[in-house]
Amino acid sequence: MEEVDNIIIHTFRQIGCDIEEDVVSLRQFSTELIIKATVRCLKIIDDSTSLPLTLPPGMSARFRMGTDLANALVSLGYKGEMGYQTFLYSNEADIRRVLMFLVEKLPKDTAVTSDEPLGKSALLSRSIAACIADQIQTPWLPPCCKKRGIRWRTPKQWNREGASGAHLYHSVAVTVPSGLDDLSRKIPKEVKSYYSKALPLVSQQPPRHEDTAASLLETNAAEVTAAQEWETEWNSVGLQSRLTQQEYKARKKERLQKKIATQLQQDVQKAEAGGVTAAGGAADLLQFLSNFSDKTPGKQQGKGSRFTHTSKLQFAQDDDKAISQMGIGEGVPKADTEEEQRQKREDEQQGLRDQLTQLTNQMDGLELDMKKFTAGIQQMEEQKNLEERSSEEKNDAYRVKKRTMDLLPDAENNIAKLQGVVESSAQRLVSLAKQWEKHRAPLIDEYRTLKEQNANKESESLKKLEDIQELRDRMKEVVDETRGKEELHKQLVSEYERMTKDVNRSAYTRRILEIVANIKKQKHEIQKVLVDTKTLQKEINHMSGKLDRTFTVTDELIFKDARKDESVRKAYKYLAALHENFDQLIKTVEDTGSIVREIRDLEDQIETESNKKTIANLQKITADYKEMKKENATLIAKVKGK
Amino acid sequence: MEISAEVQEGLQLAGDTAHIPDKVFKYLVERVFEDIFKRPSARSLKEDGNLKSLDAAVVKQAYAALCTLALEGAKHDANSSNLSPILEDCKWTTDRTESFINIFLDRKETVRVLLGNIRQVHPHIVDVDWRLDYYMKSNHKDKVNEATYLITLKTEEGGLNRKTKDVQFCCSLEQLQDLVGKLKDATRSLEKASLS
Repeated sequence: MEEVDNIIIHTFRQIGCDIEEDVVSLRQFSTELIIKATVRCLKIIDDSTSLPLTLPPGMSARFRMGTDLANALVSLGYKGEMGYQTFLYSNEADIRRVLMFLVEKLPKDTAVTSDEPLGKSALLSRSIAACIADQIQTPWLPPCCKKRGIRWRTPKQWNREGASGAHLYHSVAVTVPSGLDDLSRKIPKEVKSYYSKALPLVSQQPPRHEDTAASLLETNAAEVTAAQEWETEWNSVGLQSRLTQQEYKARKKERLQKKIATQLQQDVQKAEAGGVTAAGGAADLLQFLSNFSDKTPGKQQGKGSRFTHTSKLQFAQDDDKAISQMGIGEGVPKADTEEEQRQKREDEQQGLRDQLTQLTNQMDGLELDMKKFTAGIQQMEEQKNLEERSSEEKNDAYRVKKRTMDLLPDAENNIAKLQGVVESSAQRLVSLAKQWEKHRAPLIDEYRTLKEQNANKESESLKKLEDIQELRDRMKEVVDETRGKEELHKQLVSEYERMTKDVNRSAYTRRILEIVANIKKQKHEIQKVLVDTKTLQKEINHMSGKLDRTFTVTDELIFKDARKDESVRKAYKYLAALHENFDQLIKTVEDTGSIVREIRDLEDQIETESNKKTIANLQKITADYKEMKKENATLIAKVKGK
Repeated sequence: MEISAEVQEGLQLAGDTAHIPDKVFKYLVERVFEDIFKRPSARSLKEDGNLKSLDAAVVKQAYAALCTLALEGAKHDANSSNLSPILEDCKWTTDRTESFINIFLDRKETVRVLLGNIRQVHPHIVDVDWRLDYYMKSNHKDKVNEATYLITLKTEEGGLNRKTKDVQFCCSLEQLQDLVGKLKDATRSLEKASLS
């Protein structure tokens, strides 16, 4: 019972009732305390109750408040005897039940410390808040006490409290020797001697020493991202192309070079043909090149190139203006000659332009002619081929006819010979065909089997690639999961360390489990006792049955002889008396047993009744009743007096 | 914390006893940390007694790798549990790992201070001077008994010089109260931020 009381008192302390330290069981709860605790609980459960926290002094008001409280509890669902008397004239068991019911009804949040969110942003903001709180507490130091704007609190903790020493991020490309550990790769002699003799240390390479850190960090980051990009590209596209890494890289290099070359050619042609300002061509080329380096969407680059386009155009115009201004400003006395020269130059330009157009027209004409001639050449060639073929055929026909003409004089012999020749050649054909068939069949089989094997290998390799991809994905997943779980574990450990440990829930749970085990044991024992009682009862019945039977048998036996013999009659009387006495004995034993049971029950009743403090409550009730009567009398007097 | 493959090569060289023997290793690590803070006097490796016996190119690569590792570790606020897997991957023996980590943890905060210097700053107020002036008379009025405050805020600007620049102004009592009120508001909002 103490644990229940502890829990109840602890919950009340948490919701705000100040209960003194030495109140550890419900027996020590006074009526005032009970009322306060109940009203606070009701307020938390349902904010709209307007019950005051203390009992009002007047008796009728107290009575009314008691009934209000009872009604509130009934409305909450308390099943059990409930009335104003439970609060005003309380007894321990009832109060315990009521308070347990109320504590269970309390919304869970107020009784349990709230869970803190585990999100990363929450952690970050918490650490920021802790840092700020820390720094607010420290007193001010004049700047001479701080080392270059840093205030060292302990050898490992520092706050920055000034702006000195700040410089912008500026990184410089640094050269580091590479490939020195891999003895299989050959480094050219000149490079090696450069590495050994001339290359300065990395910390001496940037012109300003404070850029060393920035430069080294940037080189590292650039190399890491390049490696990652290569990984993703290789995993997605490279593996599918089934080339080795070097082949893939070589092909990519070729492709890119070809693209650049074609783009340059196009730009040059455009520039020659259309006479567009060089700025436009350069802008297109820049855009094209930036397509390689960035993977950002085209809009940004479009803006960039448009900007560069416009800036370049502006600069071109400015250049023109500057040149013309220079031209104008150069000589005011030489103005006339300037004009003449300009005129001349313009005329020259015009003439040159005319020449240029003429020449281009000529070139166009010549090109057209060239095309026509090449077309004509092709046609001629085709005709020639046709003619050759027809002449060949005619030659063959002529030869055959000549042969027949030669053979005509000796016609019959020749016909026979020719027939024989024809037959032999036919037979040779047949045998050759058979041989060919013989060779062909196994070769075809081989061919088919090899084709199947090849197809199998291809599908197998595809499957293996897929498996490899899957395995890699799973590996990444597992790594991510483990990382997430480790982080979660760290967070939970820190959470657990931070959680308050005042309510020892494990002790309660242990107690509850012990009690459950005890109850189980008790049930077992009760079962055993019941079984024992049953067997005992059976035995008793058995015995009493036996007794009755033996008595009737002995009775009859002796009665038969009793009429004749006097001693037998005496024996019979003694037997009857014996039977009666023992009967009485048995009855008294049974009565003692039942009386002992009644005594036990009555003792229990006495205990429960004495716990109810009925006498004290009765006294209180009579006193309150008398008070109420007095108040009523005063009120009646007041009303009458008015 | 990611270290690129080239830096890992250099670290392997640095951890390899064939290329860099044990007694030189500690000196090299110490020199790396010294040089991060101050520009090394342009002594070439030939003049540095301990290092001249080794292959200069190897020393330069190992030096660069150790510098990068020190800076990356300070940037990520690494402790020994973060650094030891990386160094083990680069095949370092345990005592070299330990000695490097010890020296690193010793100097980590100063390196972080150095890295934290890379930033853009506005002038930062570090000190304040004031003077109370009593304004008794003016050319036009005979009696002007007012107090004015002459305030000098000393600020530090960025850059590597340590002189403070002054921002001077004068204000009346109400303006000064206004200023102090705004400062108090600022402190209150900071305290609120520190509670959440």
